[in-house]
Amino acid sequence: MTQWLNALPTLITFAPLIGLAVLLFLPQDKTRAHRMVGIAGTLPSLVLALVMFGRFDPLKQGLQWAQSIPWFDIPLGLINRQAPATKLVFNYSMGVDGLSMPLVVLTCLVATLAAIASVYVKQRTKAYYTLLLLLLVGMNGVFLSANFFLFFIFFEVTLVAAFFLIGIWGFLGREKAANHFLLYNGLGSGFLLFAMIGLLLLSGSLDYATIQQQAGGLVKQVHLLEPQQVSLVWLIFISLIVAFAIKLPMFPFHSWMLRVHVEAPTPVVMIHSGVLLKMGAYGLIRFGVGFFPGLMDRAATVLAVLGLVNILYGAILAFVETELKRVLAYSSVSHMGIILFGLVAMNEAGLKGAVFQSVSHGLISALLFFIVGSLYERTKTTELNELGGLAKPMPILSGLLLFGGMALLGLPGLSGFISEFMAFLGLFQERPVVAAVGALGLVLASAYTLRACLKTTFGPLKERFSDMADVKGWEVGSLFTLVFLIVVIGVYPAVLAYPMEQTLEVILAGIGG
Amino acid sequence: MGTNVALLIPLFPFLAFLFLLMGKKWAKPVIAGMGIVATGLSFLLTLPLVWNSAIGGPLLAWQFPWLSIEDQMVQLSVTLGPLQVLMLLIVTSVSLLVQLYSYGYMHADARFHVFYAYLSLFTCSMLGLVMSANLLQIYVFWELVGVCSFLLVGFWYTKPEAKKAAKKAFIVTRIGDIGLFIAICLIFWRVGSFEVDALAKAVSSGQLNAGWLSLVAILIFVGAVGKSGQFPLHTWLPDAMEGPTPVSALIHAATMVAAGVYLVANLFFLFAASDLAMDVVAYVGGFTALFAATIGIAQTDIKRVLAYSTVSQLGYMMLALGSAGYTAGVFHLTTHAFFKALLFLAAGAVITAFDHQQDLRQMGGLWKTHRWLGVWFLIGCLSIAGIPPFAGFFSKDEILAAVYQAGRMDLFVIGLLAAFFTAFYMFRLFFLAFAGESRGQAQTKAVPTVMMAPLAVLAVMATASGLANLPGHWFDHWLAPVSAKTGAPLWLPVVAILVSVLGMGLATMMYGVRKWDATKWAKAVPWLHQLVLRKYYVDECYQVLVVWPLKGFGWVLNGWDRFVIGGLVHLSGWFMSAFGGLGSRLQTGQAQTYALISVIGLVLLFVGLTAGRLFQ
Repeated sequence: MTQWLNALPTLITFAPLIGLAVLLFLPQDKTRAHRMVGIAGTLPSLVLALVMFGRFDPLKQGLQWAQSIPWFDIPLGLINRQAPATKLVFNYSMGVDGLSMPLVVLTCLVATLAAIASVYVKQRTKAYYTLLLLLLVGMNGVFLSANFFLFFIFFEVTLVAAFFLIGIWGFLGREKAANHFLLYNGLGSGFLLFAMIGLLLLSGSLDYATIQQQAGGLVKQVHLLEPQQVSLVWLIFISLIVAFAIKLPMFPFHSWMLRVHVEAPTPVVMIHSGVLLKMGAYGLIRFGVGFFPGLMDRAATVLAVLGLVNILYGAILAFVETELKRVLAYSSVSHMGIILFGLVAMNEAGLKGAVFQSVSHGLISALLFFIVGSLYERTKTTELNELGGLAKPMPILSGLLLFGGMALLGLPGLSGFISEFMAFLGLFQERPVVAAVGALGLVLASAYTLRACLKTTFGPLKERFSDMADVKGWEVGSLFTLVFLIVVIGVYPAVLAYPMEQTLEVILAGIGG
Repeated sequence: MGTNVALLIPLFPFLAFLFLLMGKKWAKPVIAGMGIVATGLSFLLTLPLVWNSAIGGPLLAWQFPWLSIEDQMVQLSVTLGPLQVLMLLIVTSVSLLVQLYSYGYMHADARFHVFYAYLSLFTCSMLGLVMSANLLQIYVFWELVGVCSFLLVGFWYTKPEAKKAAKKAFIVTRIGDIGLFIAICLIFWRVGSFEVDALAKAVSSGQLNAGWLSLVAILIFVGAVGKSGQFPLHTWLPDAMEGPTPVSALIHAATMVAAGVYLVANLFFLFAASDLAMDVVAYVGGFTALFAATIGIAQTDIKRVLAYSTVSQLGYMMLALGSAGYTAGVFHLTTHAFFKALLFLAAGAVITAFDHQQDLRQMGGLWKTHRWLGVWFLIGCLSIAGIPPFAGFFSKDEILAAVYQAGRMDLFVIGLLAAFFTAFYMFRLFFLAFAGESRGQAQTKAVPTVMMAPLAVLAVMATASGLANLPGHWFDHWLAPVSAKTGAPLWLPVVAILVSVLGMGLATMMYGVRKWDATKWAKAVPWLHQLVLRKYYVDECYQVLVVWPLKGFGWVLNGWDRFVIGGLVHLSGWFMSAFGGLGSRLQTGQAQTYALISVIGLVLLFVGLTAGRLFQ
């Protein structure tokens, strides 16, 4: 009966196109209909992603529902006469494993909630939802493709869609923010392109499996390689790291992300902070650790220190920042440092922590930016000094903000703790001193989070906020979905950890070998 | 009774918490009833456990697979030894009385249901903490206890002081928590498990080197220092007085601050394996005991005096544990839970009587109008001052004996000094509130019965709990069946009583019969009085040494981030547009230029392709 299931990754990726097609036929001014179709358009992917979650076989190693169709190839004979038989093969390969599966579910969920949160977008809704659905296609494609070329294409799709979403529907400084976004990410794409060509020359095909064999084999025998090849491999590795470090973002490439957090419309920030940044983490794990475990090991010290800088730098800046969205933006910088910690630990606890942190931070930042969006709609400001005492008129929203803050600072029982703990635990085995210094970030996290939350909701109530309405029903529904998931992962992390174990084992085998 | 039933103990308050959050529109008796019944059921379930443990029944244990880390299945686990059962008894009974009392104290509050919800969660977290047999699990509940106390201290969130105090309580204890966090990570990689039992086995096997043991023990102690308000992380505890008084009682007696002492007691085997760690615990505890007691003598806010007395008494417990007096420390934890809960709840009644006045200088004369309240308060004072036959005497005596036997004469003297100050400031407090005539408002309010009844129960406990150790050290044998005790010298209790009586006498002369003028003494050494009044300027030191530099550094970084890192963007933007400009300048639209460029390109291509062959 399950013939159609074989194409599950493809279906999930392209399902939003149905909604997109319907949208195209709607008249410009039917805002309500755009909204309905926009939200409904994200649902097929979500449902299919949940089906995938349910039917995923946690005991199987490697890709599931893998699909590989020859797409086109470039015979090398045209370029190099000596090797007429070989050609560069491009396949349409899709599939999912324990690493991408949680991220796909996260993506679909955050996209649906962001579509719901977009109620506050009032202008040019047709174009807005069209781009939102396109962005969803891109994001799912990034996680579900099993071919680097395909990955690259989807990656670029997300850039284009996000660029317009930020630049058209954002706040005052939106155009500048969109430009910075494009500038940095374009630069990242350049590195990615270079890495792709390098990988293509190295292994002849861009399917992950082939690259892993070829690159892994090459790197393991570094001493047998010619110096030129060694430097090529290093160049590929470094450009991959740089490309994803920009995306993550890693210090000092983070300034674009701050602007986006502040200027983009809040539903887009939900997606941006919740999912798009995680593409950086995904890339670092999949390509950095997965393809070049040996090189990753040698770069680990540098990356660990950069992770430490991320954690402390972001935390200290979040502590003095006076605007709520910027506080959250810097806290994202800090939390991405924790992902780096988990990565460079290169052990099971650490890698698990990195993936956990990706998912958990995705949920938490989606929750927080949803709240910030609802808050801004009522107060029309996110300056901390102008806010205060909101718990009185809005007990539920304030309570949820405090909950989100607690999740952000890593309160046990919520998802943030388990991810931080595993990332730190992993690093403690390898580099206890760096990890111990990084643990200071946990204190700073509670300082800046509480400062921001309490400045908003505690204290004397400002006169002009006294008759604010609390959250509406549809907001409560979305918010509590996130709250529920944050609690579930925090209380019973095995629900997330179990499916990824086999995949991590494969990656770890690569490291160990 | 099976362990599955024991698991219900923290579950009842948790369910109450969930329901109470939705109880905005419920009647007050229903709200309070739900909290009280839930905790009451936990209390009732604890009783058979106490019996089972007291007659030497088997240890109850339970496990549940939770998460695999590095091929190691982390189990949720519960083990109920004597220490755990004792803690369950303390927590449930004190929490029950506090909730009963709160019905009267918080009756007028608009967020009555939230208050009971938080109290229930607090109780649940603390119960979970003491039942955990796994360090990771302990850490989870440890933090939950912290967050509950944050919520309750900041319960009156519109008050700026409450907001500040709540934040401080959370952040300062978090600093300590980092120590525990690091220790847990280190233990996992060395021992391969989070289980307390596994750690105990590893320690007793003697494979762990001494330096590592000391490091880990001290890191854990850092966590306890934060939670139990030991110097130098004690500053949050007096500020936490901003919370409603029943909360103070709960925090100071049974839940939050007891957690730190409990943790050290629970992992006592680890500390005992390292002399260095024992020294650190004993000296920090001893110093805190004296340090906080001296601050207590100058404070004018009734709750702050009690807060410093808690800090000081917790110091005593640490002093005992660090001097190998395991049972003495735990015994003092027990008696302190009752007499401190009594004192705080009674102080709440005093505050209610004076219509929310907390300043001791505005009080007085309460003995005449509130005789029973005076009696209960007096019992609390006598108990903490260490006068027989009240409970505090027995436990304090054991602590001093333990310190004496450990051969730490310096700490022994410090302990006696602290006892002197304790007796002094407690009776100063008592006389200021109850003796003479009221210095503030003339009319005092009546205290409702629902608040007085728990006081009576606690007064009985504060008297009787000390007797638990009288018939042949029954309490000691229950907690630590194998500990061989050599008797302390007989003169020790006599000296201890003498010192306390001296302190009481001095307070009586100054504040009771007012023969000696207290202000004259303060004026004789103004700098000392100021130093003590301002709590040795510890808060100010933190402000100058930690907060300001951090903020300053933050602002410097902020400028750096805006201009230097932000500038990078402009640089790359400029580069891109310059590059683009170059490209667009080439698009002149003149066919001649294009043709020229094409020719040059063609020549270059031709040369490139052929040049190599020319030289072959």
